[in-house]
Amino acid sequence: MTQPASATDPAPGRRPELVPDPDAEAARIAAVRRYDILDTPPDGAFDRVAAMAARLFDVPVATVTIVDTDRIWFKAAHGLEGVAEIGRDPGLCGSAVLRDDTMVIPDTLKDPVAADNPLVAGEMGVRFYAAAPIVTPDGHKLGTVNVLDTRPRSITEEDTATLADLAAIVLDEMELRLSAMRALRDEQGRREAERRHAEAERARAEAERAAREKAEQDKAAIAAFASTLQRTLLPPALPVVPGLELACHYRTASAHDVGGDFYDVFPLDSDRWAFFLGDVCGKGPEAATVTALARHTLRATAQIEADPVAVLSALNTMLLTDVTAGRRFCTVLFGLLEPRKDGGFTVTLATGGHPPAYHVRPDDSGAVWVRAVRPQGGMLVGAFPQAPFARTTFSLAAGESLFLYTDGLTEARTTEGALLGEDGLTGFLHQRTAPVTATSLVEDSVTLLASLPDGARDDVALLALSVPHPHATPDGAVAATARTAAAPEHLGQE
Amino acid sequence: MTDMLQLTVQHPRPGLAIATVAGDVDLHTADTLRREASDIIQRRCPHLILDLSQVGFCDSAGLSALIGLWHATQAVGGALRLANVPDRLMRMLVLTGVDTILSVHATTEEAVSAMIADSEPTEGHHILS
Repeated sequence: MTQPASATDPAPGRRPELVPDPDAEAARIAAVRRYDILDTPPDGAFDRVAAMAARLFDVPVATVTIVDTDRIWFKAAHGLEGVAEIGRDPGLCGSAVLRDDTMVIPDTLKDPVAADNPLVAGEMGVRFYAAAPIVTPDGHKLGTVNVLDTRPRSITEEDTATLADLAAIVLDEMELRLSAMRALRDEQGRREAERRHAEAERARAEAERAAREKAEQDKAAIAAFASTLQRTLLPPALPVVPGLELACHYRTASAHDVGGDFYDVFPLDSDRWAFFLGDVCGKGPEAATVTALARHTLRATAQIEADPVAVLSALNTMLLTDVTAGRRFCTVLFGLLEPRKDGGFTVTLATGGHPPAYHVRPDDSGAVWVRAVRPQGGMLVGAFPQAPFARTTFSLAAGESLFLYTDGLTEARTTEGALLGEDGLTGFLHQRTAPVTATSLVEDSVTLLASLPDGARDDVALLALSVPHPHATPDGAVAATARTAAAPEHLGQE
Repeated sequence: MTDMLQLTVQHPRPGLAIATVAGDVDLHTADTLRREASDIIQRRCPHLILDLSQVGFCDSAGLSALIGLWHATQAVGGALRLANVPDRLMRMLVLTGVDTILSVHATTEEAVSAMIADSEPTEGHHILS
């Protein structure tokens, strides 16, 4: 469009140009925006309307235009290939869109405003123009359906009505398009909402799963903590004591209850050794505190004063000065081992209210001799400031064993429902067959517990010491066995 | 029902209570015994006799409760005596040496007599004479 713009003052005598009312124009532009059609790709429906108009009016050019603020955009342009838009010059579409009725200019050169329009004055030389406004239901004119010819002509009222019908068809198409877009938008919104809902559901399920997982982890962590605590309270493994066989067993009744049973074997000065086995009255974290306190006190005190009675007295004092004083007590057997020249040991055993230990020896006839080692007058530890403790000294010779246990063993119920008791345990020990060793005593006791209908209802700790026969350990080899140390059956966390 | 423990209390003399314990004294009920018997001791009955004839089972938790009650009576200048102690508890008392501190009697009558004889020199508790 190289024609000069029609910005020059209208020549006198020309028909007065319609000037858009600013408010009406703003509302019109809002309507144009609402249909969201400007700059959309070509659409067959609008192209057909333009082609139909050209054919009906037998004109070379027919277009469907949308009038924007400062341009006239062709939604469809029959006979005007390659033209997308033109300036909003007055005279033709720019004027038609301001009228409510169809505008017909039979000869543009005779129309004072149209004559200056670039399409008229320019190369294209439009002589005939007719346009029907595309009017929305609320009265806004979006653009026109128009026909153009390069020669003047007149059209009938019927033709004018046809052009208005075509404009109405265009509006219908735009309405359809708008409602389709709205439906699409709604559908997209619905899908988006669904997607968000699904996402929220997923997030919620994920949060639930995470919470469940966390709870499981916490549970496992607590069990692992109890297990770890339990293992720290137990000796990790029994030491190797020259000339002595050792065996132990530990089992907690519940994976979640930290038990109150404890034992240890440890070296003192030079070639002396000490051992202990005890049982805290009660269960749970409080009992575990006493267990830890007892173990450390016994070990530390024995390094200073090896006399077992002195060691138990020290523990008694310690427990009574502890914050749990008067609430937590334990029973303990504490022993001192001194090697003898004949290969055996001198055992000094003190008791703090603990069930008797058993001294076991197969005799020459194959029967098993059993003696309860029961120092008289030993009181439980940590209950009374005046508590007395008692000791006894005896020899543990080759082939002999010493068996210590907590009451989880003697309080286990037999098939008849009675407690195994000391009598039951004594009878069981009598039935052993030579050779009796620390290992066989512990293994047989574990088997016995497993054979009882309820097993052990309480925690059980077993500790056995035996002196092997010299011929059983040729070349003076050391026999030291630590069995099932710190391997509570119910604690699966490793 | 191991978690059922009942105490029936008599007051034969001012400052003296005889509580008959019925049920098992174990991990689940020991606190009940400790609490209820402590209440009796605090309520101006520093001399307490526990009649254990109706106790079926008593484990180390029960023993702990008895020791705690002994301390409670000592703290208020009183005494704790046990009567009709079941065999198994008796063995436990002997085994732990606690029988040398907690007085054990064959009957409640014996326990009452011992309590009266024992309390006569005690100042501030003339109630028993």
